[in-house]
Parts: sequence; C-alpha cells; structure tokens
Amino acid sequence: MTPETLVRHELAGLDVTVADASNPDIVGIGGRVRDETMKTLLVATGDGVKQVPKAGATFRFALEECDVVIEGETLLARPARRSETHRGSLWQ
Amino acid sequence: MTVAEERIVRLEELARRAARSGEPDLARRYVRRARRIAERNRLPLPKRFKRFTCDRCDRYLVPGRTARVRTRSGHVVVTCDCGEQARYPY
Repeated sequence: MTPETLVRHELAGLDVTVADASNPDIVGIGGRVRDETMKTLLVATGDGVKQVPKAGATFRFALEECDVVIEGETLLARPARRSETHRGSLWQ
Repeated sequence: MTVAEERIVRLEELARRAARSGEPDLARRYVRRARRIAERNRLPLPKRFKRFTCDRCDRYLVPGRTARVRTRSGHVVVTCDCGEQARYPY
C-alpha cells in the first residue's frame, strides 16, 4: 500500500485521525478503522466505536513510512467500488 | 499485484483476526466485501479463503469453534454452525 493507492485500497485496519471537519465535534477522533460504509467510517477509539461521516472531513491515515492526508469526499463510494478503474470509475 | 488482489488478501487477514477474537459479525462483513471485490474484478479467491469461509452465511470458520472438520473416505467435510457443508478431496 502506497500513498498513491490509499484511496483505492482497503481502509479497515489502518490508523486514522480526523484532522479537520465541518463538524467541530468529530475533529480529533482517532483510532483504528473498524469498518466502512458508503458514507461513513467506523473508527474504534479508546472511547468506543465512533461513526464518522466521510463528507466534510479530512482524514490523516498513518502508513508505515508516512502519514497521508485525504479529503473525505474522495472516499465517498461503496467500499468495494473504490478499487475499480473501469466503467466510469472516479478512482483511476 | 493489483490493488484489488491486495485488498482481498488484507480482508482475509482482518476477517481471520476478527473471527478469532470473537467478533464473527465483523468478520462476516470483511468476508462479504472480499467476495464482492473478487466478483467485480473477476479474480479468484485464495484457496485458504474458500476453505475457511461459509458459502451460505459468509462466516469466517474457526475449526473446532464455529466449524466441524471431519474426514470421510477420500474427502474432508467442513460443517459450519449454520449447517452448510463443504467438501474437498485429500
């Protein structure tokens, strides 16, 4: 997994923090991604599992080598659909 | 290795860990997503994935806990808690 392929890759199991969001209450939520739906991420924090909307949030994913900052809007899709590169896919 | 293939491998790993730590429903979500990625990208599923997931209820099987593994003449029978049986030769 590289920073370039992260938006097309599996997010479950990665460490993430919400760097910025239109909703101030969810800024700073951090932990391991437990699951993903079309419009939200379920993050396992020390304080239970939080469901964070992708829209309007900026996420910082921690990979082994580096951190990757991603706008939540680029992740808005069904989890299985994001890997595809054909048939009108937005994730080339 | 394409992103889709890497995702299937990672999802299997996640499903196995979730099933072993007592979260079968989370494991089931990972299994379903891996299957979905495989069918939409026309990829085969790894052999271990096929043998340790239930075709009917998509559970990740833990032999001895959620699955019964028995040998019959010439083949292994894996029975899921839901009653589904799968066979493979030995």
